[in-house]
Amino acid sequence: MRGIKKKLHGIFGLIFALMPSLAWAGGKKASMLVVVADTRRISNPIFHYFANLYNTNITLFALWAVVLTALYGCALGLLMDFIMERTGLDLRTRKIIEH
Amino acid sequence: MKKQLVFVILFIGLCAILARPALAIEAEVAQGKCISFSRESGEVIIEEYDTNFSQQHPYGMPTGKHLNIKLTEKTLVGIPPEPGDILRIAYVEREGVPVALRIMNVSKQDLRKK
Amino acid sequence: MDWLYIYMPIAGFKIFWPGLVLIGFSVGVIGGFFGMGGAWMVTPGLNILGFPMAFAIGTDIAHIAGKSMIATFRHGKFGNVDYKLGFVMLVGTMIGIECGARIVMWLERIGQVGRVVRWVYVVFLFLIALMVFVDYAKAVRKKKRGIVEGEKGAEGITWYKTLHRIKIPPMVHFKTAGFTCSAWLPIMVSYATGVLAGFLGIGGGLLRMPALVYFVGCPTHIAVGTDLFEVMISGLYGAFTYSLKGRIELVAVFIMLTGAAIGAQIGTVATKYSKGYGIRVAFGSAVVCCMISIILKQLKYNLPAAILILGAITTISLYIMITMFRGAAAELREKKARMATAHSS
Repeated sequence: MRGIKKKLHGIFGLIFALMPSLAWAGGKKASMLVVVADTRRISNPIFHYFANLYNTNITLFALWAVVLTALYGCALGLLMDFIMERTGLDLRTRKIIEH
Repeated sequence: MKKQLVFVILFIGLCAILARPALAIEAEVAQGKCISFSRESGEVIIEEYDTNFSQQHPYGMPTGKHLNIKLTEKTLVGIPPEPGDILRIAYVEREGVPVALRIMNVSKQDLRKK
Repeated sequence: MDWLYIYMPIAGFKIFWPGLVLIGFSVGVIGGFFGMGGAWMVTPGLNILGFPMAFAIGTDIAHIAGKSMIATFRHGKFGNVDYKLGFVMLVGTMIGIECGARIVMWLERIGQVGRVVRWVYVVFLFLIALMVFVDYAKAVRKKKRGIVEGEKGAEGITWYKTLHRIKIPPMVHFKTAGFTCSAWLPIMVSYATGVLAGFLGIGGGLLRMPALVYFVGCPTHIAVGTDLFEVMISGLYGAFTYSLKGRIELVAVFIMLTGAAIGAQIGTVATKYSKGYGIRVAFGSAVVCCMISIILKQLKYNLPAAILILGAITTISLYIMITMFRGAAAELREKKARMATAHSS
């Protein structure tokens, strides 16, 4: 396991240290792809708000995306804690496997 | 637990601040066939399509209505449009004139094939 | 059959939403059970369901951010984190993610993103599968010979000792981790994993954790905590930069997160009741199935690719779920019996 992991690191380290420079060196000029969210097709007001924000102010959209994802993650974490405590299972003696 | 609550309150406060400036702008979206596009004259003209999508008309049905939209320095343009391309444009009305924010070249960058 | 499809407001196409739920849930179960992210199946899975590659990567990385928030809030803390090390590594991680994301955007511009990312994934998954199977073979051999595996083998690899001798300023002493080295060492390690994370849309823990141990010389328990911290930051930054580039589908992120949160509980609880190495073979097979389905997608066999990947992850999650429910039922029964005898005596 360790031996292979070691080799893995070597290979990946090399590839991924080199790739960005390759990308810049071979920087062929090509036009950027722009996406416009089609707000005409969205009736849900929340989706409509975010799709509109995507079109008008992408920085704010990005901030929202990060904040909402983090918030939702926290909320789910708390909720799951709450539920798992009530199952009556003993979760303290569990050996946590973490690699 | 208290710490987490503080975090949550901070987040909600931040959201409230973020929400306000964003509510002001409401962009329109138009899709249609490009008739002309020129950076020099600063204008793009499309023939608007409606939202009746079908197998034969994946981009909607032509309405015959022409729409002139102004281009500015800040307009984000994807693959350069040519007459005949299907474009999707997000624009806002500024002093009665539609000004483009983002232009997507729908027919030339079919994302589903990526 | 229209209700089975949900409209993605940004990218503008319809997606088979049960597939999204299934991917989110399975990632949760499998990730929780094996203790490694499981994000490696999300990007290919989303791509096979019909997401453009750049959207798949952005959505995957945002979902990692949310998942790491769940984990952090559930355990209340990261555990043992060397915050100084964490912050030094942040520099490399963030620059790395940005580089990875830019490579993706550049590939998208020249129209190669799908092909290149898919093949890199095939190589990546092949290496993971190889690692799992070799690990399994070793365990079987050891068992035959009657060697009981210790918690930790002899520390044979001391690469970090050599690396610590490189004295390029600034030299930094990390108190919690207990070593001194050039700040460039952790920065370079985190940069490399950051590029990989930003490019493939994964957390990078699979590589960062062992790299911290062997290259940087971090004690294992501190490496675990610091890695979790790094995954969260890299996920959040990745989510930010991909949304700034307009390649994220928030609806999909939320659907998958919900599935993942429930799945992760089942997966982590199941570890308590699972015995033996057999399940690792199943895991390796799932990786191989995922790899084959990416190749199928590349060859434009979309339906078989979707069936293969969804089928493989469903089977393995079902297996883990059955393990968990059986074990939990047995435990609760035992607990009841114990209570009854305590009352009667």
